[in-house]
Amino acid sequence: MSTYILMKILESTPSRYDKGIRILTLGRLDKSYDRLTSHITKGQRVLDIGCGTGALTLRAAQNEAKVKGIDVNPQMLEIAQKRAIEADLSQNIELCEMGVAELGSEASQSYDVLMSGLCFSELTEDELSYTLKEVKRILKQGGFLFIADEVRPESIAKKIPQWLLRLPLIIITYILTQTTTHAVKNLPEKIEEAGFTIESVRLSPLENFIELVGRNQQKGETK
Amino acid sequence: MSLMKYTFINVITTLLRVFPFPCKTGLMKIGNPNRNSLVFLTCNYLLTLERVKRALKGIDAYLLVANSRGINIWCASAGGQFTNHEVISAITVSGIEEFVDHKNVILPQLSATGVEAKVIQKKTGWRVKWGPVYAKDIPLFIENNCKKTPEMREVRFPWTDRVEMAVFFAFPLSIILALIVLPFLPSSILPLIVLVWGLSFLILLSFPLYSRWLRPEGKSTDFIRRTGFPILLWGVFIIGLIIYRAAIGDFTWGFIVQWGVIPLVTVLLLSIDLAGISPTYKAALHEELKIALDEKKCKGAAFCEKVCPRDCYEVDSTRHIATMPRSDRCVQCGACIIQCPFDALYFKTPKDEIIPPETIRRFKLNLTSKRLVKVEGK
Repeated sequence: MSTYILMKILESTPSRYDKGIRILTLGRLDKSYDRLTSHITKGQRVLDIGCGTGALTLRAAQNEAKVKGIDVNPQMLEIAQKRAIEADLSQNIELCEMGVAELGSEASQSYDVLMSGLCFSELTEDELSYTLKEVKRILKQGGFLFIADEVRPESIAKKIPQWLLRLPLIIITYILTQTTTHAVKNLPEKIEEAGFTIESVRLSPLENFIELVGRNQQKGETK
Repeated sequence: MSLMKYTFINVITTLLRVFPFPCKTGLMKIGNPNRNSLVFLTCNYLLTLERVKRALKGIDAYLLVANSRGINIWCASAGGQFTNHEVISAITVSGIEEFVDHKNVILPQLSATGVEAKVIQKKTGWRVKWGPVYAKDIPLFIENNCKKTPEMREVRFPWTDRVEMAVFFAFPLSIILALIVLPFLPSSILPLIVLVWGLSFLILLSFPLYSRWLRPEGKSTDFIRRTGFPILLWGVFIIGLIIYRAAIGDFTWGFIVQWGVIPLVTVLLLSIDLAGISPTYKAALHEELKIALDEKKCKGAAFCEKVCPRDCYEVDSTRHIATMPRSDRCVQCGACIIQCPFDALYFKTPKDEIIPPETIRRFKLNLTSKRLVKVEGK
């Protein structure tokens, strides 16, 4: 039973997760998170899906929103909790060990903002469509959807340089921090299909990282 | 055609056993299931899925493939990649509720180290039944009215699995060693590969001969005891080599050293954790934990007996209490602790520290690394 223990020691390292992500996204992620959460205002109800160590959750709470962060990894949540207490923001933050499959327990139209950083790419295809359906339900009319995630470039011309850049980056990051990310395909299309309007999309030069603002379409409104 | 595909998948996943092989998750129909058909759940490791599908041939059932990140069910469950969340997700997201009139799902028994039946029932309303350890026992399990025989609960290490582990070890090692040696001695690549494969097979096939010494007795694990037999094999090989070279009148120490190093590397690498390569002995690499029973809490519910893959338990039905007459067989997978409804079981470290059930449920066998981190931080 040791092969997997070894594997686990390498893989389960939430404490090194943040550092790994920073290397892997070349610092882009922090800026994206700052930009996205700058839209959040005081008193708003915010849900962070896959909050991890709390990068988005803490930023939203700093804007005095009421944030609920959910994640399936208890170790990550432990770090998030510690950071919330250190930043004296725990009164605005509720953390829950819960997966997207349990979003059914959230009340309809109960959130102003839904955000998710590097989580949709971790989901299986059927989980992603289920999540988008549930997000549509629990988000208020006109509510916002903020997403920052790794995506797969569509053109071959971008795919090749993206792999040339990413491959060494993946290896270095993995060796240093045992952290890695995945990429999701056709994310904007999937979000539109789920019934959101896309307000803005910002892609990295290699089209491998997306920052997206979507909105829960008003009734009778057309694209 | 399907047999060819099956064989191909078996070969590839055996050669590259260290790597995960994820496949598509979701709901699969096997045969023509109806509203009363059984619902099985498995992981999305390609080889496991193929074996489960093969076992279910000719049976009408639903199969839920849950996301274990392409890792086999035991490793993923013990390592924290296959948890309650993956099972809840497979049940909820797949929409299986629309296809059947019952709420019973059969999970592989080895996932009991990562999935809590109680939590699944609470969150989804679905009742978990632990299926057999090996997929090939599924037809008999169904015939038996979904009851397991004691044999179906146990992990084994038959020669077929030992061959797989020998290949898993020899294939990457021979490639790495060949690449290292290639620039210096290109002519010796072939004998080198034969040596690495031969020794790996020899050590693993002879496993039952020496395995009883792999069980750690006392406090620390003795390196000599663990590596004794493989080193002995190596010694025999070297002596054979010396006699052979002397017999043909071409004896030089340089030759012996040159050909002694590769087998020594193979033997030592294999011996780092020979016990851990098998499913029947606890890994020697992490600290030795003992399962302890709080007799006041135990009500003899026998959950432990049902999920133990090493047949350690026996429930005393007159006293309504679990006993561990074969505790020396324990591989410390933690399944019994996680499933006990009364929290009557826990781990005890060599220093008599207690690791309570809630810690084990939270961190699974990760608690090994988690606790190491904690100690360092002090």
